[in-house]
Amino acid sequence: MELTRRKVLQLGLAAGAGMALGGCKLLQLGLNIKGYWPGMLEGHLLRGNTQLPAPSVERKVGVAILGGGAAGLFAAWKLVRGGRKDVLLVDGPEFGGNCAAGALGGLAHPRGAHYLPLPSLESRHVRELLADMGVIERDAFTAKPYFDERVLVHAPEERLWVDGRWQEGLLPRTGMDADELKQQQRFLDFVAGLRDKTGSDGRRVFAIPLVLSSTDPQWRALDQLSFAQWLKREGYTAPGLLWYLDYACRDDYGAGSAQTSAWAGLHYFASRGGHAANAEEGAILTWPDGINPLVRHLAAALQPAQRLAGMAVQVTDAGKAVHVDVLNVLSRKVTRLIADQVICAMPLHVAAHVVSDLAGLGFDLHRHGLPHAAWQVSNFLIDAFPQEPVEHPLAWDNVVYGSNSLGYVNSTHQLIRQYKPESSVFTAYHAFANEDPRAVRARLEHASAEALYEVAAQDLQRVYGWRWRQHVQQVEITVRGHAMSTPAPGFLGNPGLAALRALDGRIRFAHADLSGLSVFEEASWWGNQAAEALL
Amino acid sequence: MRDRLLILSVFIVASCGLAYELIAGALASYLLGDSVLQFSSIIGTYLFAMGLGSHCSKYVKEERALATFIDVELLVGLIGGLSALFLFLVFAWANAPFRTVLYALVVICGALVGMEIPLVMRVLNQRKTAFADIVSRVLTFDYMGALAVSLLFPLVLAPKLGLARTALLFGICNVGVALWTARVFRRELVNPVHFYLRGGIVLMLLGGSFVAADRLTAWSEKAIYGDEIIHAETTHYQRLVLTKWQDDLRLYINGNLQFSSRDEYRYHEALVHPVLEKQPWTRKVLILGGGDGLALREVLRYPQIESVTLVDLDPAMTTLFSTSAPLVALNKGALKDKRAHVVNEDAGQWLEKDNGVFDAIIIDFPDPSNFALGKLYSVPMFRLVNRHLAQNGLMVVQSTSPMHAPRSYWSINKTLEEAGFVTTPYHAYVPSFGEWGFIIGAKQAGYTPPTAYRLPMKFLDTESTRQMFFFPPDMHKVDVEANRLNNQSLVHYFEQDWSRVLR
Repeated sequence: MELTRRKVLQLGLAAGAGMALGGCKLLQLGLNIKGYWPGMLEGHLLRGNTQLPAPSVERKVGVAILGGGAAGLFAAWKLVRGGRKDVLLVDGPEFGGNCAAGALGGLAHPRGAHYLPLPSLESRHVRELLADMGVIERDAFTAKPYFDERVLVHAPEERLWVDGRWQEGLLPRTGMDADELKQQQRFLDFVAGLRDKTGSDGRRVFAIPLVLSSTDPQWRALDQLSFAQWLKREGYTAPGLLWYLDYACRDDYGAGSAQTSAWAGLHYFASRGGHAANAEEGAILTWPDGINPLVRHLAAALQPAQRLAGMAVQVTDAGKAVHVDVLNVLSRKVTRLIADQVICAMPLHVAAHVVSDLAGLGFDLHRHGLPHAAWQVSNFLIDAFPQEPVEHPLAWDNVVYGSNSLGYVNSTHQLIRQYKPESSVFTAYHAFANEDPRAVRARLEHASAEALYEVAAQDLQRVYGWRWRQHVQQVEITVRGHAMSTPAPGFLGNPGLAALRALDGRIRFAHADLSGLSVFEEASWWGNQAAEALL
Repeated sequence: MRDRLLILSVFIVASCGLAYELIAGALASYLLGDSVLQFSSIIGTYLFAMGLGSHCSKYVKEERALATFIDVELLVGLIGGLSALFLFLVFAWANAPFRTVLYALVVICGALVGMEIPLVMRVLNQRKTAFADIVSRVLTFDYMGALAVSLLFPLVLAPKLGLARTALLFGICNVGVALWTARVFRRELVNPVHFYLRGGIVLMLLGGSFVAADRLTAWSEKAIYGDEIIHAETTHYQRLVLTKWQDDLRLYINGNLQFSSRDEYRYHEALVHPVLEKQPWTRKVLILGGGDGLALREVLRYPQIESVTLVDLDPAMTTLFSTSAPLVALNKGALKDKRAHVVNEDAGQWLEKDNGVFDAIIIDFPDPSNFALGKLYSVPMFRLVNRHLAQNGLMVVQSTSPMHAPRSYWSINKTLEEAGFVTTPYHAYVPSFGEWGFIIGAKQAGYTPPTAYRLPMKFLDTESTRQMFFFPPDMHKVDVEANRLNNQSLVHYFEQDWSRVLR
């Protein structure tokens, strides 16, 4: 037998840590953990009463787009494609926002969202982008476009760890009783029936983009309940199903089923109507670095002169033009943009500090602001793949049943290789759901690398045990205190959001926050709407 | 004197007990990997089972204590002695029940060994030795035996004798103790002859196995491969086993037959020449897979060919086939030919990086038996290959069997079509594989099979070629999906097709 010094050491560590520290500090020994809090310092700068320098430069622009996330970049791409040249994109604190990416050991990985569902028929704007990228190869606007298979998620797509064993798919089936399976089927049949359902106004009940959904009050009434309440009312009690639905809410909205509107909970299942000519139902698109290639493609449409580093700190409607003060955090210089039009592509809780008299435009942060979920996206560079059972090889998405975390994704899954590569990055997702988001943020602001690692590695440790640690070379943890708005009950009828969506003056808004839930299709939709209005 | 004998037997018994534990642990870590986990779980289970045995020993009637001790010794000798050999054989046949068998054996051995010491103590107690003295002497020798074996096992026995024979040796010791005890205490036993007889049988069994152990362990591998193994190697990627029976040399990768030297010429002539015969202008050839150099051997027969690039993942494979004398004889030193360029890299990765264009591309990948290998037969992969093919070039893909795995075969055909190839399917009979399939892909229509060959062939001629391109009714095209990476239908087809054929 081979009991090397290293193994003895690890064994001792695992045992010692387990006893003395609950698996906390010793485990981090010698591990390179990097933490990122993108936008936090910049955001908190706005919140405080920091005195900002006076503008040192003025610059006239046609359209100023404030924010380099999915909405802002989409607006910019659309405008440039439509022939506008007088466009200036203010990057904001983090390029790509929730579509951001990084690299570890030369391997690209996501720092935010990791997949895009096949676009629905209504998501023409997403199809237009994918066709431009070559991801849709033909029939872009038909019911079944033909996609580039390298980007369609490869089999095996997902697996679930139930009681120490893997099963295919994320709905827990292993060891479940007949009643559980019956309830699962009932739910699946119900949401399948919703997919083609139309309301009294002839629109689909659940559409992406969300604003194209029916306004039929019979269906909108679902927004008054939480998803958990609705499930209870409909007699869904099976623990496996309820866990899965809670997982789905946390995965998409960052909030548990008790904090999510029933309408939003069903929207997740009923709105994804996309198909592909060359993939199964429910397939998704993914890249090693999540969906970062989408925003990179959008940004590539802009000339360097059409971008400005820094972030908007003050937006004032000066009558004939809008004045936008842009602070370059590094140089501490402020540029004043004199813009004919402004697209505010920043989160609304930031806009409330930046745009003068946002309440006058109809949005009062205290009354209309939706709760924000905090997320942690953790990337592990590994130098060898852990052993997997032959019958259930490593999947793209690997989830642990019963966990309050969201599992992990393998960044090299889409490579076409005969043998697994030498190294890879596993990305573990965690939404701090079912906890007061403010308390979570207060904790995360000063969280130690060790505390973050605890959260990050929980599913991986559960699956691979103490052996997990021996594969890890580096860890990078991205903390997003305000990762996304969560669609709490009542979000559909939020008058503040309705007011911002309807704005038609010099200042427009484009952000997923306008929909109340953070997905690429929604963010890009608002970017697209704002751009189309200016073309 | 008799008491001293009992104490000595404690020493031996303790040695044997620890030996079985160490052997089971070592075997588990050899075969299953992860030594820390295997060792600690085996030791834990073993100690627990010993506890069970000690507990059970109290149900042995006082007057039966000595006889039971001898019986237990015989059983331990038999089961413990044969344990390693038996486990090797089980592992050779099937992986799944191995763990179950292993732990069952550990529990049985542990329980029996656990009964030994309590029984000895009771026998001594019956003989009115002071109790404090019994406990002290028995335990002293128990622990001394343990020390002796824990040193002997890793330093001498395991390396010199191997695990199977070490276990047998300890089994023989156990039986020896049983026989000796029966002999010395024959007056106190009701029927000592019975014990001699049983002991004799077990001893013969163990002795015989000890002599035959090497042959049996080899046979356990042979049981899978059938023939004598002349080379076995576990590389970073796969397990290579080379067997030989008379003039038949066979290569197995992960237990799957790759070729038999008796009929591989059929496979490789069929793979290579329908493409190259039709392309007398070919200068540059690419071979993906085929680290055995046999397809390369056929390619190099054309004098006008200037360079052949062979991309095979495993350097151990290409090294073996360029150094081992019988293998070099088989591929005629193809891998050492100055026109051949061997690249050890994952084919997908190499194709993504390289931008060479080839007149002919020969693909000899492993069958699509898992998701990773299935990706090699996908639209994106074939498109990538297409980019490396000259406009008037041809490529050929080994495509499983249209007879035994029809859905897999036609799925590959459909995938090639979807990747933009005009395909020409064909097949050849290779006795060791059965009816085997290939598909030629071209960028434009118009391929017709050769009607004659300029080079001398063993298998191909006008008539055999005509038959290769003719699909009789039992091999007609079936309607299947292309292999989409999203669901990898090919991997499912392959699994289902072969599960129907193999019993």
